[in-house]
Amino acid sequence: MYSYILRRLLLMIPTLLGITLVVFTVMAAAPGGISAQSLIEGHMEPQAKQAMEDYYNRLYGLDQPAPMQYLRWLNNISPIGFTFDENNSVNGFSLFKGSDLGMSFRYGRSVLDLIEERVPITLLLNVLSLPIIYLLSIAVGVRAATQRGKSFDTSSSIAMLGLWSIPTMLAGVLLIGFFASDQYWQWFPTAGLSDREALDMPFLPHWGSMWDVLLLMFFMVIGLLSLVALSQYAKRSIRMAMMAGLGGILGFMMASDVNAGTLFMSVLLGVSGSVLLGLLGYTSFTALRTSLMGLLGIFLGILLACTLMQDEFVRGFLLDRLWHLILPVLCLTYGGFAFLAKLMRTAMLENLLADYARTARAKGLAERDVLWRHVFRNSLLPLITVSATLLPSLLAGSVIVEAIFSIDGMGKLAIEAVKGRDRELILSITLISGVLTLFSYLIADLCYAVADPRVSYD
Amino acid sequence: MTDSGLPEKGSGYVAQILRDTFSRWGARLGLLWIGVLIFCAVFAPLLANSHPLLLSQNGAWQSPMLQFMTPNDVIILALLLITIILLLIPWALRRKVMAGLGLLFVVATLSVSFISPPQLTIYEQYRDNQNTGQYDWVVHAPIPYSPKDYLRDDGDTGLESPLGSEERTHWLGTETDGADVLSRMIHASRIALAIGFIATGIAMFIGLILGGLMGYFSGWVDMLGMRLVEVFEAVPTLFLLLIFVAFFSPNLYVMMVIIGITGWSGYARYIRAEFLRLRQQEFVQAAIACDLPLKSILFRHMLPNGIAPILVAASFGVASAILAEATLSFLGLGLVDDPSWGQMLNQAVQASTFNWWMAVFPGGAIFLTVFAYTLIGESLRDAIDPHISKNK
Repeated sequence: MYSYILRRLLLMIPTLLGITLVVFTVMAAAPGGISAQSLIEGHMEPQAKQAMEDYYNRLYGLDQPAPMQYLRWLNNISPIGFTFDENNSVNGFSLFKGSDLGMSFRYGRSVLDLIEERVPITLLLNVLSLPIIYLLSIAVGVRAATQRGKSFDTSSSIAMLGLWSIPTMLAGVLLIGFFASDQYWQWFPTAGLSDREALDMPFLPHWGSMWDVLLLMFFMVIGLLSLVALSQYAKRSIRMAMMAGLGGILGFMMASDVNAGTLFMSVLLGVSGSVLLGLLGYTSFTALRTSLMGLLGIFLGILLACTLMQDEFVRGFLLDRLWHLILPVLCLTYGGFAFLAKLMRTAMLENLLADYARTARAKGLAERDVLWRHVFRNSLLPLITVSATLLPSLLAGSVIVEAIFSIDGMGKLAIEAVKGRDRELILSITLISGVLTLFSYLIADLCYAVADPRVSYD
Repeated sequence: MTDSGLPEKGSGYVAQILRDTFSRWGARLGLLWIGVLIFCAVFAPLLANSHPLLLSQNGAWQSPMLQFMTPNDVIILALLLITIILLLIPWALRRKVMAGLGLLFVVATLSVSFISPPQLTIYEQYRDNQNTGQYDWVVHAPIPYSPKDYLRDDGDTGLESPLGSEERTHWLGTETDGADVLSRMIHASRIALAIGFIATGIAMFIGLILGGLMGYFSGWVDMLGMRLVEVFEAVPTLFLLLIFVAFFSPNLYVMMVIIGITGWSGYARYIRAEFLRLRQQEFVQAAIACDLPLKSILFRHMLPNGIAPILVAASFGVASAILAEATLSFLGLGLVDDPSWGQMLNQAVQASTFNWWMAVFPGGAIFLTVFAYTLIGESLRDAIDPHISKNK
């Protein structure tokens, strides 16, 4: 096992070299490429310009031929290597010179600083999205596989394909346009991760009086209990009718919230609200229905309590952050969810029809045990393999999401770096995303061996 | 080279799979939408054009639409004609492809060298002349606005919501600079189709050659090739694309090549796996024993038997190539002047207010196109995988 890991780690080195070489070649081969001239902006006197060029050349070695530049960069980032004196000539070989990602051309700051500042933000987005993606997709995928050919399976399959085909930028633009701009519903902030005033707020939310907290709790519990009870104990027809009515009312209220609301809009929203919630009431997928209806109940309770509360309320840093994160996380999750749910369904289907599942049923195991103890565990294997490719795709997805919601994460940094032809920054981002991806491949392979005893790497 | 084309069995297999695929409603719906797109792309100058199709001035007929036809318009029209004619002729596939390529080349050289539309276009002249009654009669295109006609003759142009003004009809509204959204969308369907097919074609070509060699030779060729595949898979494709596009000036053709170059690794992986499996089989061993040339073994014997999973990957690949172009244009790194759906979506963000028609229609077109290719891909996969389809 250890020799396998060591071999994989060593194999990463040529791959990483290849990645940076490809990116460097693209930059060097491009017309214009990277030169000191391209870094100097605006009008300057010839002498000053010359001085700037010399400065950049000395700092980054831009006047050297491309292969030398690449080797220099490699030498800079490797912890062992040659050291240079002021005139850029080699003056020794050091084992402890330390690695240096260099300075960003555009920002004039060390690349490491910039990346350290941005990575947590992108990680925050992804860490929030991943559990949502996995939980939902496992729930829907397992359900679709066990209900193969029935209405839930067909409708969820089409819905998954549709969701998967919605471009992230369309979803982002529409969400911002309708739910964050002041023309329609200004429910969410348009940009950034927190409001300026939220930085001065305490971390947790504060209420003006104890009475308000009690009120809020009371309505939340009432909302939760009533809708969960409706979901669990009411007959399907009653459940569906009540939910459809609720959806219609909510839709109308939403339409009346818009300044320039038209009759068409209220009808459209009312009908679609009642159809959506009616479907939720109709479905026989109890776990999903109850949890979604419970969430809806809590939400309605909060809404009601907010209209009744009198004293002032400070939302605090945490709530403000969450409020800012809802739309971006929504944009990041839906695509991955659709993809994984389809994958989960296929994997479950294959295993449900396998011989061992039949054997388990034949020896008298309950269907629930067959499903969760045998089939489900084996169906997780493809999910593990895919999780390795999900991380890079989430990183790429956050490029678009961060651009739309102007969140200062790695994705936005990448776009800025590329637009500014910032050589050091581009190479470092490439290197880091390459390392992340390769490590996630390795971890996925190791998880695979843990999950499936038949796989061994010795 | 004989005229028999691909081996009878191979083409039969592919034909059977295609028949099976397009008997499903999902694939049919997808095909329908793509058919609509092809129609729009080919007949774009007839559908949406500020130049009248036909007019009569002082008793003399003229057609400004024909005068202002670009070589591209002619080539695309010819491409459709050639395809239809060749589909009707009962030739072998290979011969059809060769004849099609040859004819296309001839048409392209002829039209590039002989067709030169006037450099200066004044869209307003037709409307002015018509208003002052200089024409006897005019036949306009169904949408009488060119994609780059910013309606400068109308003083208060700018943003109009769909059917928002009484004077002129803009079915899907106008952009902030006054250009008609529907007209731009019709002309942008060309870019979407071309990017999808050509970028995927390039990616598939590279992937087939490299993957085929890797799978056939295995050993150190495989080892080296897989490192190369890993190199291209370890960086998020979007980031690689961004670097390429930012450093090379983005015109349509560069863009296609770039999307192709960054997208080949998946195909190489698939075809390698297929060829590793096929290599052991008797018919390949027999072909090797007969001392057939490598090209023949790889592409006439192994490829037809391993092509099926590639077709699935290709139809998803077309979708992702269209998405890639839209994403790049959306991020402001794509085509500058030509209409493209992604660039139109970007304009919806750049505008100071949110104008839903500028986001919903181009975005919806991207969505429908990606959805269509995905549906076709899913149906193909079901048709190819007997295990799953048997269980249905």
